[in-house]
Amino acid sequence: MSDLPRRAAAILWKDILSETRTRQGFTAMLSFAALVLFMFSFAIGVDNDLLGRLAGGLLWVAIVFTGTLSLGRTFQNEELAGGTRLLRLYPGDVRAIYLGKLAGNLVVLAALEVVLFPAAAILYQVDFTAQAGPLLLVAVLGTFGFSVIGTFFSALTVHLRARELLLPLLLFPALVPVVLGSVGATEAFLAGDPLGRAGGWLRLLASYDVILFVVCLWIFPVVLEE
Amino acid sequence: MSLAVAAEGVTRRFGRRWALRGVDLTVPRGAVVALLGANGTGKTTLLRLISTLLKPTAGRLEVLGHTLPAGGDEIRTGAAFMTAGGHAYEELTGVENLRFAARMSGTDATDDDLRDALAAFDLRGAADLPVRGWSTGMRKRLELARLRLRPLELVLLDEPFVSLDEDGVGLVHDAVRGWRDAGAAVVIASHRVEDASRHADDVVRLVGGRVDDVTA
Repeated sequence: MSDLPRRAAAILWKDILSETRTRQGFTAMLSFAALVLFMFSFAIGVDNDLLGRLAGGLLWVAIVFTGTLSLGRTFQNEELAGGTRLLRLYPGDVRAIYLGKLAGNLVVLAALEVVLFPAAAILYQVDFTAQAGPLLLVAVLGTFGFSVIGTFFSALTVHLRARELLLPLLLFPALVPVVLGSVGATEAFLAGDPLGRAGGWLRLLASYDVILFVVCLWIFPVVLEE
Repeated sequence: MSLAVAAEGVTRRFGRRWALRGVDLTVPRGAVVALLGANGTGKTTLLRLISTLLKPTAGRLEVLGHTLPAGGDEIRTGAAFMTAGGHAYEELTGVENLRFAARMSGTDATDDDLRDALAAFDLRGAADLPVRGWSTGMRKRLELARLRLRPLELVLLDEPFVSLDEDGVGLVHDAVRGWRDAGAAVVIASHRVEDASRHADDVVRLVGGRVDDVTA
């Protein structure tokens, strides 16, 4: 294995191993996500039509809020271990750190969505299975975009005193195209895409994902400098 | 004799505070240099500059034949920096921490290699226990074991004797001797004058971010 993927895989292995040993972060995320889904369900009431129409938006809001909790922890375990910047002492491209952390966030969010999608289907009485393939593509693109920006801003704010406040403040505006694209595409597919709008949302998502990934990967080494 | 480190007028400022001012330092390959000084005199900052964690504000710093900021990756391949606070993941065991370090360094270390490195610092019995339950001294030994995973040309040790018992201090001395005998340069920043100076070819005293005295 070449240097960059090997080192990224080492970081992913280490983070997953730590998470599976404690399970604290994931358990808290799941509880929070369930709470958010329930609150929306209670707030909207028993209007099943309305719940069904809003399901895509509610689901992605739950993913974004819960995912933000996960992002905040991305580099905090490095700080507890002595400091994120100490990872720079290892030889090789520091972008491996970004890629490893990004992969870790993707795994955690994917695990979260495996639970959230069925939970939302039951609570909001929507059928995700009818458009399973297209919705899976939306989930992949949306989750990737969220993780790409989130991992970057998590690294950017890890040394700041008000990081818990600053991370969402920086993250949410940058996430607007990802949320718009994900919600738009999810709602379009759930409605059977009668107006053929889903393709436009997917193109927006895919384009934004690629641009952000390239920019974040390119800038990341500067973020870790002192 | 070729030099592992050559600093000329190296200066580093953090905002308005000058951590180092015009530091000149030479560390020949195969030599041990002790960096002594009170708190805040710039010992750690100098080690961080040499390790490439920081960039000098001014001056010329050559490490392992590369003038910074160029050659950072080559320097990190040949050099290792043991920080005073250490670098260990609480949920991982001793072996897993070393395995992570080996993978990140590009070292092909077998499980036996990792356990041998731990055994060299009397950690064989704790090898499969999470670091969370380890004492500060055991974590310091783990840091030293991490440095044994790959051949090094330059070893930077920040307060290596702190938190260690007598046996641990002896193991640090053995390790320093081993690196020096293998031709590596070793720079030790410490408050413990006697321990830091024991194998030192040069003793450098820093005062207020400047080199106050060099004793051969």
